[in-house]
Amino acid sequence: MPQTTIYVSPRSLGAPDTRPPAAETTELARLFSGNAALAGISIRIDAGRTVALLGPNGAGKTTLLRILATSLRSSYGSARVDGLDLVRDAGLVRERVAYLPHATGLYDDLTARENLDFAATLLGTEDRRARVERALSDVGLADRADDRVRSFSAGMRRRLALGRILLGRPSLVLLDEPYAALDRDGMELVDQLLAAWHEVGVTVLVASHATERLEAFLDATLVLDRGLVVAISGEGVASTTPLPAGGPGSRAAEVVR
Amino acid sequence: MTALRAEARVALAIARKDAVAELRGRHATVSTLFFAAIVLLLFGFALGPDAARLAAAAPGLLWLAVVFAGILAVNRLHLLETDDGALEQLAMYPVARRAIYAGKALGGFAVMLVLGLVVLGAVGVLFAVDIGSAWLPLLATVVLGALGIAAVGTFYAGVTVRLRAREVMLPLLMLPILTPLLLGAVKATSAALAGDPFGELAAWLQLLIAFDLIMLVAGAATYGFLLED
Repeated sequence: MPQTTIYVSPRSLGAPDTRPPAAETTELARLFSGNAALAGISIRIDAGRTVALLGPNGAGKTTLLRILATSLRSSYGSARVDGLDLVRDAGLVRERVAYLPHATGLYDDLTARENLDFAATLLGTEDRRARVERALSDVGLADRADDRVRSFSAGMRRRLALGRILLGRPSLVLLDEPYAALDRDGMELVDQLLAAWHEVGVTVLVASHATERLEAFLDATLVLDRGLVVAISGEGVASTTPLPAGGPGSRAAEVVR
Repeated sequence: MTALRAEARVALAIARKDAVAELRGRHATVSTLFFAAIVLLLFGFALGPDAARLAAAAPGLLWLAVVFAGILAVNRLHLLETDDGALEQLAMYPVARRAIYAGKALGGFAVMLVLGLVVLGAVGVLFAVDIGSAWLPLLATVVLGALGIAAVGTFYAGVTVRLRAREVMLPLLMLPILTPLLLGAVKATSAALAGDPFGELAAWLQLLIAFDLIMLVAGAATYGFLLED
């Protein structure tokens, strides 16, 4: 079992959280060839919350995560992370956000260690070499550190991509199907990370179909369908526009099922 | 100053990453060197066995081979970034976009420089041209030519990397822009090989320097827009 270490400053537990919302969107929309992947959503996610992003395929979950990660521009509307505008302050937002997408973004011809070292250099990680070794150990790849990523399985690539997140000090972590391709140990690693991020006050927005596994870590769930928010439950998340008629328990239950 | 140093560190890391991947995978150099050699041989066959004619055409053939092979090389270097979403990941790092451009251009320059020097040597052997007596101006021409192709190629490879028809689009976009470079490099090479009888070499090298500077500045200023989806 890998020892998981989170490299973020612990918030003072018990003190009121005065941080701005971790993520806030206003009429956020994204069109692909005229089709709305996001159809104008206005939400607020409070800092320090762990939120599940649920919905069927094509609901807009990945689009929302990519926009918040500055990897995709919105077609309309605006969004802020930690009070910073995603377009105007993109560079500062990138310092605060870590994103685990479907694709791992690794270089096949580099070794696991070289991939993380490259990431650490671009992230400006202090004490780079030690942190890279620690991250490799944390994700259970220390013994494969000098192997080229080309030889890795999908699950090992996923672990290494998780290791890359551990090199930074994000305040908002965006995970897109983090359990995909992982074995039991890998899934437990994700569980440990979710628990640790929650404990130190890092906001996590996680899109996953593994709802039962996630349940133990969640403060709230946000349900999307066809680019719109159809339901919200729990604490620390709000929609600033009215939800569709019927609310939670009707359309949302159908979507999540 | 600190920001500039940080950007230089990022650019060097990207160039080093490309160099390591290239040394291990040989995605760009081997195929493009063979391609350049075939281009030279085919031009040689097309022009016939007349040694004087081949020697006179050598500067033009050299730079046509370098440009054609260079287009392949910069395309291959950018394809590294399409592996498993690497380009998207690269764009999400909190670094200046111009540093990413500089890193990719530096990696491209290294490959282009190797390519240019090998093709220059091949031209000397195949077309019986004496490159030894004018090695310094020839080296300067190859360095400036390689830098210009890398500067233009890095930008346009960024434009086309997400396109399905990138292999077709890249030469269509690059070749018109590279015309001044091709002209300057051929003229500078000709002047150097002839011993610069009309004193024009410096002017052609200045043209190459101006071209490189303009393309590097324009590329650095605009490359960030290409990284956005």
